[in-house]
Amino acid sequence: MIAFSRPFWPLFLHVLGAMTLFGAVLTAVITSTVAWRRPDVPILHKATFWALVSGVPDYVVFRIAAQFIYSDEKDVYAGRNWIGIGFFVSDGGLLIFLAAIGCAYWWMRSGTPSAGRIVAGLSSVYLVLLALGWLAMSGKWG
Amino acid sequence: MLHVTAAFFLVGGSVAAGILNALAIRAARPSETAYLLRLVRITLPVIGVGVAGTLIFGIWLWHELHFSIGAFWIWASLVLWVATSALGGIGGKHQERARKLAEQLAAAGDATSAELRTLLRDRKGNAMSWLAGAATLGILVLMIWKPGS
Repeated sequence: MIAFSRPFWPLFLHVLGAMTLFGAVLTAVITSTVAWRRPDVPILHKATFWALVSGVPDYVVFRIAAQFIYSDEKDVYAGRNWIGIGFFVSDGGLLIFLAAIGCAYWWMRSGTPSAGRIVAGLSSVYLVLLALGWLAMSGKWG
Repeated sequence: MLHVTAAFFLVGGSVAAGILNALAIRAARPSETAYLLRLVRITLPVIGVGVAGTLIFGIWLWHELHFSIGAFWIWASLVLWVATSALGGIGGKHQERARKLAEQLAAAGDATSAELRTLLRDRKGNAMSWLAGAATLGILVLMIWKPGS
């Protein structure tokens, strides 16, 4: 009943933000992983950094909309496992996302191959966390 | 859960292809443009799984959740799904033309040309990709709003 009666915009923006954030991180995973084998292509460093930066507004929209929905419906959903997983992915994952952006900037400026490998690792972990988040939220785990 | 996962693959893969295309347009050298447009190919299986999964699991949910056979929002979503696939395919062909030209220029000294710049910024070719994105957004609106449900 709640799913059918809740306001349109918060849920729409939450889902859209999460999907576009996934797309931005997926781009970074592709470019940084390809650069692992081809460290001599500087455009990949730049592309990784800007792909991750393009995910920042997506994250903001996704997170604000999530908080808006939670504030409205916390009496119903507080304490559920899938809500906990969602918060873990969005708030805990933010640290990984910001670390990936920082390392991508370092990589873009220095061209150090190890920086690129760290970005590839962090972006991949964050991509898996996002998948865990949407599976838990949509499957209402627990 | 599987339908939502497929939707994430469709939208996420399309966003990734869009970001790589936007970066390719802004790249300084044809070799860089060609490289980034080649990477768009990696997103195609992701988009393909999303396109197939949204349809298969969507129809399954239609039956499972007992939505009306004449539900407007589901039929409208199906029309937009067809439009997304068709427009995305046309947009992809435009990108392929740009990639081939960029590869030729990269092999012949890596100096950009007016023809490549025109092809990359061609409004008609890029409009197909933008319209495919707008149709995907329309599907998402209908899936969350469920007008008349």
